[in-house]
Parts: sequence; structure tokens; C-alpha cells
Amino acid sequence: MSSDTHPQPALSTGEVHQQLGALTRQLHDSLNGLGLAAKVKDWAGELPDAKSRLSYIARLTGQAAEKVLNQVDQAKAQHDHIAAETRRIGALIVKDPVAAVAKGHVMNFITDVEQASQKVDSHLTEIMMAQDFHDLTGQVIAKVVTLAATIEEQLVLLLLQTAPADAKVAAPAAQEYTPALAGPVVDGQTNQEVVTDQSQVDDLLASLGF
Amino acid sequence: MSKELRFLVVDDFSTMRRIVRNLLKESGYAEADEAEDGVVALQKLRASTFDFVVSDINMPNMNGFQLLAEIKKDDKLKHLPVLMVTAEARKEDIVLAAQQGAAGYIVKPFTKATLEDKVNHILTKMGLK
Repeated sequence: MSSDTHPQPALSTGEVHQQLGALTRQLHDSLNGLGLAAKVKDWAGELPDAKSRLSYIARLTGQAAEKVLNQVDQAKAQHDHIAAETRRIGALIVKDPVAAVAKGHVMNFITDVEQASQKVDSHLTEIMMAQDFHDLTGQVIAKVVTLAATIEEQLVLLLLQTAPADAKVAAPAAQEYTPALAGPVVDGQTNQEVVTDQSQVDDLLASLGF
Repeated sequence: MSKELRFLVVDDFSTMRRIVRNLLKESGYAEADEAEDGVVALQKLRASTFDFVVSDINMPNMNGFQLLAEIKKDDKLKHLPVLMVTAEARKEDIVLAAQQGAAGYIVKPFTKATLEDKVNHILTKMGLK
């Protein structure tokens, strides 16, 4: 180890603030010089949107899970009812088959099973419908990933362009972020330009004569 | 008669394609094929015979608006009813779809009843049911 290596003196709070200020100014000037200031402003505007999109994902997946569990509970209750009734009718038939039919127990059971089957089918349809969260959250996740990739790409570009001359390498061409379609409405109440349910779609189309 | 109608379900999410196909089946329309984007949908529409298209909008390669435009400018396909089923809820998108000739527009998430109502309404209007 070299004997002329000396430990750096500790910086005072004022000096740290001064250095942070200088760094911030340098970053600000670099961004301006590279024409990236406007982009940073855009990112700042999109970050709260990304936050609300992530909240939307959490809300939608939570609702879907709860919906599925509720429907499973109800379907299982119907299933348990059918199983119990099957055992009861089975016992009646073993005991006195003629009486079981004559007294209407068997017919009542058949009607009961048919009704329960319809209810179970309805619960299964609801469970299937709850899976639509995959499509909706998938679209939102894709948008957040695109935003993160754009910010990363621009930061790499900034790093390359502000690196010391001896460490500078050719910067890759930056790809412009082109927003796709709007995707699912994550906060429809505050946006008058979107519809929040099917009845509003129908009203709008009706007003156009469709 | 309605049970013989053939549907093409277009959506980039396989989950949604399955949901729509299952719902159509429950509504009595068991004949359905599927495509993951507009390009594949157009290939299938031109290679086979379909009576009804249910399409998403936001898809890679060719989105729902582009698919709708392609269908409407193709003499052999332009008669096909196209029902948009999408998460795109901007009023301008709904108006654009109507102006481009979409037969109906459903916003996700939707219910079984909504899909059934729209499909039946369109088929009745076109004299196919």
C-alpha cells in the first residue's frame, strides 16, 4: 500500500449541500444541453400515472381473487347440498323404493338437482369471467414496462453523452416513445373523455344514430 | 339456424379468446375460431368462411381499427359484422369505430349478458337470426 495515501477529510453539512447543488445544476444543464429537459418533464408527468396504473392492477387482481373465492364458496355450498340430498334419497330408496317414488321424494330430488346444477353453472361462468383481469392488467403492465424502458434508455443515453471524452462510446440512437392506444381506464371518474361503463357506450352510439 | 353461424374471435390475450368463445358457446354459438392479431385474423378470414367477427382493438402487428378497415375495404369481407370488444374507453375511439363500420362496441370488463345481447341484436339487425 502506498504510504502517501491520506484519508479524505470529512465534509461539513454545508459542503455536502454545496456539492449536491453543483451536481443538480450540472445534471440540469446537461439535460437542457441534450434537449432532454422536456422529456424529463414528460416522465415526471407519467410517473404518477404509472403509480395509478399499478394501483389499478392491485385493485383488479384483488377483486378478481375475491370474486373467484366467493363464487367457489357458493358453488361448493350447492355441491354439498346435492351430495347430502343424494345420500338422503339413497337411504329412502333403500328403505322403501315404492314409497320414495310415491311420496314424491325422488321427483323433488331431481328438480332440486336440476336447480342446483344451474346455479353451479352460473358460478362457473362468473369464475371464468373473473379471469378477464389477465387481459386488462396485462395491457396496463405493458404500458408501465414501456415507460420504465423509455426512462432507462434515455438515462443510458444521458450517461453516454456526458461521459469523459476518453470513456465516451458511440451512443445508440434513442427511440422516440410513441404512446399506443389508451388501454383500460384506470381512473375514469376524473376523465370526461372516456366512458366508464357499457351504458355510456350505448348512449354515445345511440346519439350518433347507431 | 343461428347455431351454424361461424365466429372469429380476435384478441392478443388467449385468456380473453377463451372467455369470449366459451360465452358464445353458452349463448348457442359453438362454431368459432380464433386469431391473436389482425394479421392472422385477415389470413383466416380470407382462407375460410365466417359470419361474424369479435375483435379486440389494442393488439400487436395489426390492431382492431386496422383490421376493421381492411375488412371494410375488401369486397368479399365487407358484409361481415365486426363487434369490437375492447378496453379502449375513449369516446373518440368509440366514435371512430362506429364511423369505420363496426357493428357494435363493448368495453371490457363486460358481462355475459352484454355480449349475448349485442351479438343477438346485430344478428337480428342483419337478418341472420
